[in-house]
Amino acid sequence: MKKPSLWVLVMLAAVLVAACQNQRAPAEQAVAAAESALTNIRDMATRYAPDQLQAVEAQLNSAKDSLAKGDYKAVLAGMPALQSAINSLKDTATAKQQEVDAANAKAKDAWGPMSSDVPKMVDAIQSRVDILSKSHHLPKGVTKDSLAAAKSSVDSMKSAWGAAANAATSGDYNTAVSKGQAVRDQASQIMQSLGMKSG
Amino acid sequence: MADDKSTTTPPSNNPYTQIHVVQSGDTLSKIAQKYYGDASLYTQIFQANRDVLSDPNKISPGQKLRIP
Repeated sequence: MKKPSLWVLVMLAAVLVAACQNQRAPAEQAVAAAESALTNIRDMATRYAPDQLQAVEAQLNSAKDSLAKGDYKAVLAGMPALQSAINSLKDTATAKQQEVDAANAKAKDAWGPMSSDVPKMVDAIQSRVDILSKSHHLPKGVTKDSLAAAKSSVDSMKSAWGAAANAATSGDYNTAVSKGQAVRDQASQIMQSLGMKSG
Repeated sequence: MADDKSTTTPPSNNPYTQIHVVQSGDTLSKIAQKYYGDASLYTQIFQANRDVLSDPNKISPGQKLRIP
């Protein structure tokens, strides 16, 4: 078989290099676009879909590695999957954010009456504890242990309530209601142990 | 241990303050005995109900008293 002449080989190499160079710009643009799209949603994704964000970042890093190695074909071949993953990440994070926002709005509504009620429960307990501490004998159904537990709980309830109020002040009503409900439950339990009828 | 100085009294609009409905034969001392185990603490109840009681010895059946 006759060997191809040198100029044919040179021409072939030139065509290949040109073809490769033709893919470089689109590959660079695709990676830049993907990086930009991810940057736009990174904060939201970090908060609401961190695991999925990590997977997408790994895909992007892989594309950047291929770009650095000059494997533009691989970059372009993987780009649809990467773009799809970014879109999916955006959808997931947006849905999660809406879910959290809705829950926070609901919690904000619950916080209103709770922020009024719970301190009153604690005040009522504080008052009863103060008076029972002066008593020579405890009333029927109230033990020294239950009074001692109530005494120590008043301070912890006030502290926990302060944390709940701080969360509400910062706009985190989910946390505020969660902590507030814990105080309310504890207060109800103590009121029962002291023979107080709540509400 | 007994000390009749005033303590933290919940505000009169505190819905969590216990309410006692006065029965025939009740006295503030008896009520204090029931809720506090100590009749001498009746003044706590009197002070918490000054808006409806002018004399600790005068309470009427059916009256609703706050028990702080």
